[in-house]
Amino acid sequence: MKEIIKLTDLHKIYEGGTHALKGINLTVNEGEFLILLGLSGSGKSTLLRCMNRLIEPTSGQIEIDNENVVTAKGKRLRKIRRHIGMIFQQFNLIKNLSALMNVLTGKLGYVSLWHALTFSMHKEDVALALKNLERVGLEVFARNKARNLSGGQQQRVAIARALMQNPRVIFADEPVASLDPATADSVMRYLGELNKKDNITILCSLHFLSLARKYGSRVVALKDGKIVFDGMPKEIDEKKFKDIYGEDAEEVEIR
Amino acid sequence: MKKKRRLKAYIQAIATDLLFWIYIFSCLYYLIYNWTGFTANLLFIGLAAVIATPLFLILHASTGYNIFLSTKKKKRWYKTFWTYILILGLIITFIVGINIVEVDFYKFFTKFQNAGGITSGIFDPSIIGYELSPESIQKLSKEDIPPDVFETLKSIQNRKYSTKKVFLSDIENRLGTAKFEIYKSTILKAAVTNTNLLNTALAALAETIFLALLATVFAIPFAFMLSFFAARNLMPKTWLGNIVYVVIRTVATIFRSIEAIVWAIIFSVWVGIGPFAGMLALMIHSIAALTKLYSEQIENIDSGPVEAIKATGASTLQTWIYAVIPQIVSPFLAFTIYRWDINVRMATIVGFVGGGGIGLLLLQQQQLLRWHNVGLLIWLIAFVVWVMDMVSAKVREKLVGM
Repeated sequence: MKEIIKLTDLHKIYEGGTHALKGINLTVNEGEFLILLGLSGSGKSTLLRCMNRLIEPTSGQIEIDNENVVTAKGKRLRKIRRHIGMIFQQFNLIKNLSALMNVLTGKLGYVSLWHALTFSMHKEDVALALKNLERVGLEVFARNKARNLSGGQQQRVAIARALMQNPRVIFADEPVASLDPATADSVMRYLGELNKKDNITILCSLHFLSLARKYGSRVVALKDGKIVFDGMPKEIDEKKFKDIYGEDAEEVEIR
Repeated sequence: MKKKRRLKAYIQAIATDLLFWIYIFSCLYYLIYNWTGFTANLLFIGLAAVIATPLFLILHASTGYNIFLSTKKKKRWYKTFWTYILILGLIITFIVGINIVEVDFYKFFTKFQNAGGITSGIFDPSIIGYELSPESIQKLSKEDIPPDVFETLKSIQNRKYSTKKVFLSDIENRLGTAKFEIYKSTILKAAVTNTNLLNTALAALAETIFLALLATVFAIPFAFMLSFFAARNLMPKTWLGNIVYVVIRTVATIFRSIEAIVWAIIFSVWVGIGPFAGMLALMIHSIAALTKLYSEQIENIDSGPVEAIKATGASTLQTWIYAVIPQIVSPFLAFTIYRWDINVRMATIVGFVGGGGIGLLLLQQQQLLRWHNVGLLIWLIAFVVWVMDMVSAKVREKLVGM
């Protein structure tokens, strides 16, 4: 088993004084499908965003694929980022652009500024983008504007965009939280497929334990910026669940 | 700390009351002077205010006290004395206002005939003008017309009349009704019609539309570039970023609060009366207005895509191109067209003070008391504004649904 992500004593304190991450130590092996659990505000999003420096960590070490993320700047940081796909709760597509164009933006870390300025793309990139759209079953929607796609379709376009980066890792920040249960499952299925077939390591924050059990190979739970559980999905029983979500929580099945 | 705050509240209360009482006594003095011609040293107003301020403050019946110092539970408004003082102040303000504005409803209802010229002009705009050209006179010379009538007609050769009615009534005045009735049909046959004014007006209208268009187009690049630096979310949160942001925002606000008509006065002196001055005036105003509108649009963009594009490893410039610009193109276009619409309207007004275009023509015709010509111009302006308004509304609806 090869290590791909290694976090050492990671802290994040926001400007307002909120201590979002309190010394996270975590090692992720290649090919894992790691599910992050925890209440809203427990630090899941902060953790994922610190790992590709969308948010600056306050202290600690981050190593991804043997690269020191914390000290990286400018070009080196961009090179690290382009191997990390990211998927968001709100999909974060550019709504005025076509699905194809949105997928192509996944290649921005690779293309020259001139290509970016003129909105022109290499032929092979377009072919690859179409192939990636086909993988998520949306090749017919390539020319449709992103705003005209349904939530599930938009999230699949976002997955295709991440695929465009030829990623070693994908961070998914509550990818199914704004989708209905059936669509949520299909989006998770695509992520699972990438994990199995392409050997992409996936870190995915979720709220549904059923999905975590179905797709996850490992579960890490956060509470108040600390890791309170690290183990197999099946190990989470009622007691562990209450540890993570608080005494009053009841598990809700989504199907 | 608490003491300091209390002191500050006292100063605020006293200042408010002092201003309030100076205002009230000034109003009262104005009214007394207006009605009786009584004059007094203005110092007495200040003196009265200085006396009234502490008096009402001690009685807890002043505005300042109740805004800044009162800690007691709020009573219902009609149970407090100070609200009645405030209401009294409002009534005095209203009475003074009516005096200053010289409101006179009697005039409004009885002097309507003064507007008769312009009203008839509007209902009978001069679309086709009449005149006796040299050819007309030639034709008339072959007709059987007495020499005195012919001489009279010859004297108005080349004089341009805005409508047929004006033309005929002028001849009737010159010839006397009896003679006029005899030769009316002959004269009409010989007279030529022209659309000179309509042509001039359409040319001036085109000038107005184009100057508004150019003012808008020239304003776009300036406003576009400035707006990025006037957007909070794009400017770095360093002292330099803050200074750039504040300076651009402040200057834009100042320039915007100076009306285009004032700019037109400045530029008509600077580059001379004409459409160029009008264009410059509208351009300056448009840059300021569009900078504000554009930058607010940039501040309103969804930050999600920006984050997503950044996460793919794109550079800052790439992020702006792919995540910011696609989000602002439609609102920018919509605002620009809206601005053009506003500029066409303002171009007319700006023309009045030397900005060229149809406004200048309207001013000239109005000063010559050519009400039928004024009527035509008013119709043309109304038509263009209506069309622009409709088109810009439709386009905006298509673009952003606003």
